[in-house]
Parts: sequence; C-alpha cells; structure tokens
Amino acid sequence: MNDRLPGPVLAVTDLRAYYRTKAFGVEREVRAVDDVSLSIEANEIYGLAGESSSGKTTLIKTIAAAIQPPLEVLAGSVVFNFGGRSVDMHHVDPRELAAIRWKHLSYIMQGSMNVLNPVRHVKQSFVDFAFRHIAKPMPEFLDIVRGHLQRLHLAPDVLDSYPHQLSGGMRQRVTIALATVCRPEFIIADEPTTALDVVVQKGVLAMIHQIQRELGSSIIFVTHDMAVHANLTDRLGIMYAGRLVEEGRTADVFRSPRHPYTAHLIASLPRLGDSAPKKGLEGAPPNLANPPPGCRFHPRCPRASDICGRDTPPMVELAPGHRAACFHPEPVQPA
Amino acid sequence: MWRTIRDLLRFNRQFAAGVVLLTLVAAYSCLSFFSPYPPNDSFVVPPDVPPSWAYPMGTTSRGQDLFWLLSFAIRNTLLFGIVVAVISRLLALVIGLVAGYSGGLVDRALMSVNDTFIVIPLFPILVLFYFVMREHMSWGLLALMMACLGWAYDARLIRSVAMSLRTREFTETGIFSGMSTRQILVEEHLPYVLPIVFSTTMNNINWSIGLEVTLSVLGFTDINTPTIGVLIYWANQHTALVAGIWWWIFFPVLLVVMTFVGLFLLAVSMNEHIDPRSRLGRTGT
Repeated sequence: MNDRLPGPVLAVTDLRAYYRTKAFGVEREVRAVDDVSLSIEANEIYGLAGESSSGKTTLIKTIAAAIQPPLEVLAGSVVFNFGGRSVDMHHVDPRELAAIRWKHLSYIMQGSMNVLNPVRHVKQSFVDFAFRHIAKPMPEFLDIVRGHLQRLHLAPDVLDSYPHQLSGGMRQRVTIALATVCRPEFIIADEPTTALDVVVQKGVLAMIHQIQRELGSSIIFVTHDMAVHANLTDRLGIMYAGRLVEEGRTADVFRSPRHPYTAHLIASLPRLGDSAPKKGLEGAPPNLANPPPGCRFHPRCPRASDICGRDTPPMVELAPGHRAACFHPEPVQPA
Repeated sequence: MWRTIRDLLRFNRQFAAGVVLLTLVAAYSCLSFFSPYPPNDSFVVPPDVPPSWAYPMGTTSRGQDLFWLLSFAIRNTLLFGIVVAVISRLLALVIGLVAGYSGGLVDRALMSVNDTFIVIPLFPILVLFYFVMREHMSWGLLALMMACLGWAYDARLIRSVAMSLRTREFTETGIFSGMSTRQILVEEHLPYVLPIVFSTTMNNINWSIGLEVTLSVLGFTDINTPTIGVLIYWANQHTALVAGIWWWIFFPVLLVVMTFVGLFLLAVSMNEHIDPRSRLGRTGT
C-alpha cells in the first residue's frame, strides 16, 4: 500500500448538510452540519468528538454519501482520493459509488452490534455484504474470510453461528472484521465501542489499531468518549452544534485546548490524584433548528464578549496544524 | 429443519396430533388415484347402502361408493386450500415487503388497495362473482378469486415487520455495501418474515376451505367437481338427513373437521415454536 499519491485521502470543504422537513405547511430546517472543512491524510486515525446531537453522525453519513431525505447537502464537497483517482461523493455516478463502497470505503455503523442479520448465519452476512466486492469464487472467498478472522484472533467457526450465539464484544469484532475484509483504504467508524464495557472496549480498540497498521488505512473514528480519543487517534476534531470548533494533533489538543468548549471537555476527564469536584457546563446544547447567532457556543461561554453574539468566528490556524474557531483562543492549561 | 421437526414431534403433543390427523387425511386423499370408478359416474353401485364391509362408508342415493367419492372430494378440497394459500401468500409477501421497504408513495398506493380488500365483505362478493361467472365457474377460477381476496391481512402484517426491518442496521449496511433492493428484500428480509408467513398459511388454508365449503353447500360453486362442500350440497338435494342416509353427511363432515383440527393444531404449535418467548416459557430458562 505504498503506491499512494501524496495529498489527503479525504478532503471535506465547506460542507453544509441540513435536515429539511415540510409538514402541514411548516418548514423546518435543522442545521446539523454547517460549514465543516477537514482533511484526512493516508495512514491516519482522525477522531471526531462532541456531545450527542452535535452533528457527528450526520457529518460522517454525509461523508459516506449514505444520506436519505430529509437530510440534504446544500453546499460544499466531499472528495476522496483512492490511489490517484479522486471521487466527489455527491457528484458521482451511483454505479461508481457502489463500486467504491465497502471495497475502498467501509462504514461501521452506529449500533453496529446489530449489523448482523439475526436470522442468518454470520457466514451469510459476509457473503451478502462482501462477496461481490472480492472477485473470487466462493471457496476462495471463504478462505479469505477465515484468514482475515484468524488474523483478528477470531475463531473461524463464528461463521457457522447465529449472531445471538455470540457475545456483544464478539459481535462487535465480527462486525469490524466484516467491514475490513475487503481491505478498504478508508474506514468510517461511528461509535464502534459505545455500549461495551471497558475491558472489551480495550480489545476492540486494539483490534482497530492492528487493522489500521496492517492495511495502512485511514480511519475516521467517532465517539464522545475523550479517553478513547486520547489513546487511539492521531488527530482530533471537536464538534459543537454542527460546527467544527477545534482541530489539531490529539496531543496538542489535549495539552493546550484553544476553544473554551474543548477546554471544558478535557477538564471533565478524571485524573489520578485529582480530588476536586468536576463542574458541569451551564446550559444545554442549542436547538439546531434555531441556533443562536454568531458563535453557537457563546450563550454558555465564560469568555463571551459582544462580538461572539454578532459574528461567526472563522477557523484560524493558531499553531502549526492546530486550528480553532474562537475569537478568544487563549490557550488554557487544563487543571 | 429435519431435527426441528423431529424434536417438535417428540416434545410437542399438539404438533404430533396435528401431523397425525393431516397425514391420515392426506393419505386418504391419495387413495383417489386408485379409485375403481371415475368421480362423476353415478349408479355404479346399489344406492343407499349403509356402511358395511363392502362399502366402508356406505353409498349415496345417486349410486356412488362414498368411500371412493370422498377421497376425490377431500383431495380437491385440500388442493383448493393449498392453491389459495400459496397464491395469496405470494401476493402478501411481495406486496407487504415492497410496501414496507419502499415507504412513501409506493407504500400509500399499495396500502390503499390493501385497505379496500380488508373492508369489502367477502361473502356477498363471492356470491356475486358466482352469478356473474356462472357459465364459466370452475374450481381454479374460484381458487384464484379467493386468493385475490385473502392476501390483505397478511400483507399488512408483513408490511409492519418490513417497516421495522428497514430501519435496522443490517439493512443500512446492506444498502451501503451495494446490495440491490431485490437482494435486500429476498436475502435479508424474507428469511425474517418466513416463519410468520408459515404460521398464517395454516390459518389461510382453514379459512379458504371453510369458505369453499360454505359456498358449495349453498350451491354457489361448480357443483360438478366433487369437493367436501359439493358432497354435502348433493346430500341436501337428496334430503339425505330426512331419508335417514346419515352417512352421506357424516363422513364428509368428519373428514373436514379432522382437516380443520389438524391445521389448527399445526398453526398453534408453529406459533409457539416461532415465538421465542413462549418457547422459553416452556423450557423454563
């Protein structure tokens, strides 16, 4: 996998995706993803963090072009670069899109414990989802699947069981194996470790790391669990209310968060020897159907000034590779 | 599959009783292939003979041996039920799965047709159908008509399951991995709804046989093809009960009751087998 051209594997530019509904003459617009730009290099694990309803899942659904009405892309572009061939996900022939998906770009869905059909053998799920992407006859395909499972320390006889016969962690790992059996260059993982206990979570994370090293894939990894980000990801993007508010190398973001929201997120992590009570952030995330003007964080922000309620802060590069969208981006040393 | 059937036979008494009853009925209907007389010939044996060794079920006032005649009748009745069930199940599966999965306009169009079929009164329609089609009335035509009337409830049921399946992750992953709509419906959703369909099939066979018997007894079908209902119709025409020819009514009724009870037991035991909650409740785990 060294024949990649330089340049980002994924470039998202000014992406804007809203949920638009119209019922009984009332139009509603939920601004779930607003002017998000990011790029992901080859061989990189990019973490996406933010609380529930901050638009993480909508963003990656849009990136994967797995969108259905009422979700609509209003502006911006998502361009993948697979082996020198660039693909604009929202302006591409559906047949080409079908050829890319799973083979080059795979997606571990949220709630991925239920990706396996409960009334079919695990083997059938592999055949259904992956067989057409590996142009090999059936016995060879099954050999590839068994080899892949073995590399991921899963016994090949899981193929002959039903999903309910596997434990939650097993199912999760089978699902990840299913998403990676075609050796994709880009993997989208939406909360793959949520709802697992920490021991199983550790195993799953190790497995994702191993796959990434072996395949040299890029991964976009979504979770609200900051501890997972600290351990797994190379770069980290923080989302708040449909906007990317800060982005940088994970270590930099953790060491000196620039955006006050990020600072609060990181301050919420428990530390060894820290006995001070944790303070919650006042208020609640805004309703995305009617977001506050200016910076969407300003009603809850301790640093807010007049300009924050008027203008939208642009993404500014404050240190090499470290960007934040804030008018008062003083670095804070987390306590 | 075979192991399931074996275990059901061994541990589920309702299932075993149902299988025994239906096997008896089916075996008897197969005897029709060895009948010495064609079904519509009359006065081939002395009329009005009560059950005896020579004529195990007696003979009719039209000089037919009831034992052989009844084997034709039950064969036609069973076939009728199965044909109606198969055709209406196909309709219900296709319409239910497509409507539930597609949603939107397709769903609304299919369901408005469906609602029409649910609310129209079946019996008057079938009687009307008989009077319109009297000249061309045949067994197959009636089966087709009943199938067209019998799919609606099950299509609703299947649609409701399909609507829930549509939002499951395995469906979304299937779409993402490039499966076509047909593949998703046939390979992912069909196995999920088949057990439900299997159970309702028994009820549907019961329903169609019951309705066919009702129509035939009243003479609203092709009365020249022997079915259980047609047999009772002719017995009534010859005032069999008043004349004391009780066996002409008794044996057809006995046979159709055996079929009903057998199918009912199968449907009940299938339901229990399919619903994991009642299965677990029985094993106590």
